[in-house]
Amino acid sequence: MAAEYTVAAVAAPVAVVALEFVVLRTGLLRTARYWITVAISLAFMVPVDGWLTRPDATVVHYAEDQISGIRVPWHIPVEDYGFGLALITLTLLLWQRLRPADGGEGRDG
Amino acid sequence: MDALRYLLILAACVAVTLPLEPVLGARVYRQPRRLLATLVPVVAVFVLWDLIAVARGHWWFSPRYTTGVTVAGLPWEEWLFFVVVPLCALLTFEVLGGGPRLLRRAERAGMLRRARGVPAEEPARRDPATGPDAPRARASAGGRRGR
Repeated sequence: MAAEYTVAAVAAPVAVVALEFVVLRTGLLRTARYWITVAISLAFMVPVDGWLTRPDATVVHYAEDQISGIRVPWHIPVEDYGFGLALITLTLLLWQRLRPADGGEGRDG
Repeated sequence: MDALRYLLILAACVAVTLPLEPVLGARVYRQPRRLLATLVPVVAVFVLWDLIAVARGHWWFSPRYTTGVTVAGLPWEEWLFFVVVPLCALLTFEVLGGGPRLLRRAERAGMLRRARGVPAEEPARRDPATGPDAPRARASAGGRRGR
């Protein structure tokens, strides 16, 4: 039986991407601006999440049987990157979808 | 101080990204309605995921490193997490989209006049009402009114 958080961490970004292609259709995933934002955000997530999961002062604990056991770097469960990717992507997609029609910033790319 | 740990981590994220708005020209806090409309569904979806995960024992929160204030069964820090992380991402995204705006700002300051080959008499026409920025200023004002 697969660890549930592992499954959810893969399913969530897939679901968000599906939402984009089927419903939102912003085209954001084809822009460099989106991918650079994700790269920067996930890079900053490492120290934050690293601090939250540090073994000697753990803020968030994970059930070992619900994660793959891969923790990188330090004590961060690899699943958290799927969680973070889904969180950031959903946010940016909705933000892009809600951009003012006359704001003129939609395709700055 | 231990009880404030999670809260302080989130505060650090807000503090680090805050200058992106006034200094680098991101427009996120200045579009409060668009921001709220973006955050409400995001918080709803991720709080739901969080509640299910906690109920099924995927993860749990340290009573020592949280304040103990809970909202709907989750530490309020966790709710804030779903506001703070999207905020940081949006500020980053908006700064990255600000290339043309930064260029205009530099032009206005006269820094790029020669590089862009603008004629020498150009500065005389740089009146805010009629200059090249005027249509854009109107557009963004309209955007703010829009929703």
